[in-house]
Amino acid sequence: MKKRNAAAKRKASPAHASESAKVAIRQLPTGVRGLDEILGGGIPEFSFNIIAGTPGCGKTTLAHQIVFANATIQKPALYFTVLGEPAMKMLRYQQQFSFFDESKLGKSIRLFNLADVVMDQDLDAVLAEIIKQVTDISPGIVVVDSFRTVVRKMANGASEVALQSFIQRLAQFLTSWEATTFLVGEYAEAEIRDNPLFTIADGLLWLWQVTERNAVVRKMQIMKLRGQASVPGLHTIRISDDGMQAFPRTLGLTGKKPRPGRRRRLSTGIPELDAMMGGGILEGDSLLVAGPSGTGKSALATHFIDEGLRQGESAIMALFEERPEGYAERARGFGLDLKKPQATGKLEMLYLRPLDLSVDETMQAILDAIERTGARRLVIDSLVGFEMALAPGFRADFRESLYRMIGALTGAGVTILSTVEVEDSFQAMPLSHYAISFLTDDILRMRYVEIDGQIRKVMMVVKMRGGNHSKDIREYVITNRGVVVIGPRQTDYTGLTTGIPTRVGKREESSPEPKATK
Amino acid sequence: MRNFAARLIAHEAASAPSDSGASAAFAVSERMGTHLTTLMGSGGHRALLMRTLVLAGAEVPWLRDTRVTVNGTLEGPDPADDSIDPNDLTEGGVVLIAQMIGLLVAFIGERLTLQLVHEVWPKLPASDLNFKI
Repeated sequence: MKKRNAAAKRKASPAHASESAKVAIRQLPTGVRGLDEILGGGIPEFSFNIIAGTPGCGKTTLAHQIVFANATIQKPALYFTVLGEPAMKMLRYQQQFSFFDESKLGKSIRLFNLADVVMDQDLDAVLAEIIKQVTDISPGIVVVDSFRTVVRKMANGASEVALQSFIQRLAQFLTSWEATTFLVGEYAEAEIRDNPLFTIADGLLWLWQVTERNAVVRKMQIMKLRGQASVPGLHTIRISDDGMQAFPRTLGLTGKKPRPGRRRRLSTGIPELDAMMGGGILEGDSLLVAGPSGTGKSALATHFIDEGLRQGESAIMALFEERPEGYAERARGFGLDLKKPQATGKLEMLYLRPLDLSVDETMQAILDAIERTGARRLVIDSLVGFEMALAPGFRADFRESLYRMIGALTGAGVTILSTVEVEDSFQAMPLSHYAISFLTDDILRMRYVEIDGQIRKVMMVVKMRGGNHSKDIREYVITNRGVVVIGPRQTDYTGLTTGIPTRVGKREESSPEPKATK
Repeated sequence: MRNFAARLIAHEAASAPSDSGASAAFAVSERMGTHLTTLMGSGGHRALLMRTLVLAGAEVPWLRDTRVTVNGTLEGPDPADDSIDPNDLTEGGVVLIAQMIGLLVAFIGERLTLQLVHEVWPKLPASDLNFKI
């Protein structure tokens, strides 16, 4: 047995040696929130990359953010400007961003204008100038902005082979000098197939700016990245005072811990409803509350949050229709205090209504708030308002993105209550015309019914994925105590789901709210 | 800005004495020019100088005859020309540099301009790197 073990060890050792001899590629942070995750950890060190896109989509801003995030006195960044944006203009505009650190200019970040060489000389002279500067400074990062203008000018007099040779020599030199390179340029997608630059490049970051109806949408795609797995697909980007921010399609949720196997039942704050739900909502469930306007969906959501706060949990309310002040004021009318927990940081009410939001950045705002507060309960009020707040171009992605976020958050144990407005039909009982019920574990339907010449309200638990639930249709009223569910005998009717029920029991009980007599 | 320009000219004159106030100002412009060309290219630098001359020439008559060469240097009054009062030459030099620095401040702001000046004259006392005194 011993001999066999020794042989096995010997056999295993070459494989082990080759494993440890594998080069470890260090990844540089981009300084762009969300982008490192999209790239699969960051920019591979010593890689030769292209930042491409149409004018105004943020190429220079991205290059600057990478430069400011990495440049040090020991490993400076060398930024060549060519015929596009001169350095002075670049400095003028880029200093408006919060990432701009003027103390890095000069020693850690060197700007060099290549325009004269490009204008007056040939490709060899351009390469010689780049080699001279790089050799003098030994930069960790090299940017040529815009490389397109270098090539365009030179292509007039140079053959395709000379151009390819220039790019090849440039890439080889910069990699040999241990520089991570970014060539910035305005390229069209049609060029990808024929341009030798794209073949030589290790990384290709493509940026778009698209106008859809009245909204502008910026997106990014990592078309190529050698040596590591980036997140495929188009990712939303936004440029603000802090520079560029990227919103990965994974929403940064890939590493979230799964929810515990055994889950608690959480109270909704309405004891009768808890009983209908078999003891409450299962922790980590997604509950959809569907009903027409005025049925008390927001009131019910308020109870849910208030109950969590009473239990010492933090909570988030993402509001897309009603302002937080109005929401808190209405809660006060039910005797529920949402202001104090906001002041203590236990509750955040996010009011998200700009009309050009991307679904991913809206979700990022929610996720950030959850991260800040450690919230265990989340209310989204409402999904219709959420969709309306998005730029038209993003509405098509709404359900897919919502599915990803809800899946990841509930997977991490956050319990979500979403409201959705549905129109009451007196022939049918739609759950939601958004066909989003697949997103939810549990569905609570609220609706109006006509009884004894009054429009009254009933609720029913339609679905509970995690266990049994009451099949009763229960009448409820909204009073100064909020949502109050009334005993079952009040719904001694048939045809309640049509909205025009027929009494099956004796008319013994009075109306829950007084009926006018005059 | 003029005080700052005067300090810069004095600092430059102390390290490389020149025959007139104008020459010292031109030397300041030339030294800055080397640095600015790296940033802006020679075309950008020449454009900055031409604009500077237009602005300064509105106040200083002898600067209206000053030209920007293809190398980005200034070609000014003939040193042998004694029709210009030496004080006017000195004062004109200060206006010239003040306008140049003023343009830089307008483009890239005070902090970056001061940083740029510091890179060109690293030995300039920190107390002199101030536009307000």
